[in-house]
Amino acid sequence: MDNFTLTINDFSGPLDLLLHLIKESKMDIYSLKIEEITKQYIDYIDSMKKLNIDIASEYLVMASSLVHIKSKMLVNEKDNEEEPEDEGIQTEEELKRRLLEYEEYKKVCDDFKDLESKRQEVHTKIPESLYEYREDVKLNTDTTLDDLVKAFEEFLKRKKFEKPLDTKITHRELSITKRTGEIRNILKTRKRVDFFELFEVINKPYVVVTFLSILEMTKNNEINIKQSKNFDKITIEMK
Amino acid sequence: MNKLGVLEGILFAIGDEGVTLKSICEILDTTEEEAKNLLKNLQKRYESDAYGIRISFLGNTFKLTTKKEHKDYYQKLLGTSEAQSLSPSNLEVLAIVAYNEPITRLEIDNLRGVASGYIVRKLCARGLIKTVGKSEMPGRPNLYGITSEFLDYFGLATRDDLPKIEHPEEETKEETELFTSIYKDKEMLNEN
Repeated sequence: MDNFTLTINDFSGPLDLLLHLIKESKMDIYSLKIEEITKQYIDYIDSMKKLNIDIASEYLVMASSLVHIKSKMLVNEKDNEEEPEDEGIQTEEELKRRLLEYEEYKKVCDDFKDLESKRQEVHTKIPESLYEYREDVKLNTDTTLDDLVKAFEEFLKRKKFEKPLDTKITHRELSITKRTGEIRNILKTRKRVDFFELFEVINKPYVVVTFLSILEMTKNNEINIKQSKNFDKITIEMK
Repeated sequence: MNKLGVLEGILFAIGDEGVTLKSICEILDTTEEEAKNLLKNLQKRYESDAYGIRISFLGNTFKLTTKKEHKDYYQKLLGTSEAQSLSPSNLEVLAIVAYNEPITRLEIDNLRGVASGYIVRKLCARGLIKTVGKSEMPGRPNLYGITSEFLDYFGLATRDDLPKIEHPEEETKEETELFTSIYKDKEMLNEN
């Protein structure tokens, strides 16, 4: 391990680094010499520190695990029923098992690499936009073209009233009380009346006052307003 | 109407999303047998070197791809830029997920001996893996699995085409398949 061509960033983790060191020293995972590999591992970490390269904590955990395993082997303790901690690798067997397992995935990564580059030799295209063939979402009402025409006719009718009329400007005060009385009279004679019929004169104050009167009467519980469905006729009747 | 033409159009329109045998049957109103025959016929036609496309079975769907014999031309077409490939760490996580799905992030971390949360998130965003459920373990962590985009990315037809690894508890099952990935040498459509 004289020249460090690989920095710690080239490894994907402590297991990767360990595998590399094992391969470098031509060892076999099964006949792994913990003492030797621990020394190499720590030397490597130290050399990285000298190069001022940040070392992820996982590498240090592994270093401590290695030292721990090594020391246990030196003391040759007969498994003092040591409480298994869940951090890190505890035994030589476990280390070997983990290395073997990891090596398996490492190996298959080469296969994936090949598959990846082969797949990149052929090309596909993104799906066509089939928007124009899409069936439109159907509205679940029985609206027909006639309804549309009718609605537009209504609109045109209202539109007509918006045209400025040639007129002399005189101001006539219109009170809600007065208008309410008028509506009351209409309802007395006719019982039921179409909402729009009440707007006999179309100008802003008249419409506003009439509308407010209707609201007022509704609030006072004098009249009922009915509409059987959207955009249908609105009828007003006396209670 | 010649259904062969329709099938070709479907494959063109659907692009890299691909179409399943089942959808072909539904769209063309055919039996599975007929649909397979149509695919075979179209495949045969594309074999001629007068055609630049072929039918591939990738990620459980049929799709049109260019031919790998023409790769040099595509390189010229697309410029010299190297295709973006996955980093070793990314590949590692993918391999671990592929052979252990469904798997939690913690189990991935343990197998790799290094935290993998960022990579897992990135691979999810790329659509190569996805959450497939919740583990019963404390905290109910997400379980991850591979997607059909994963299979396509590596040019695989189905999960069974994953490179074999020596997994002690997994018995390898031998299967003869009608449709295989583009890397099996034989044109499977003709064999059957």
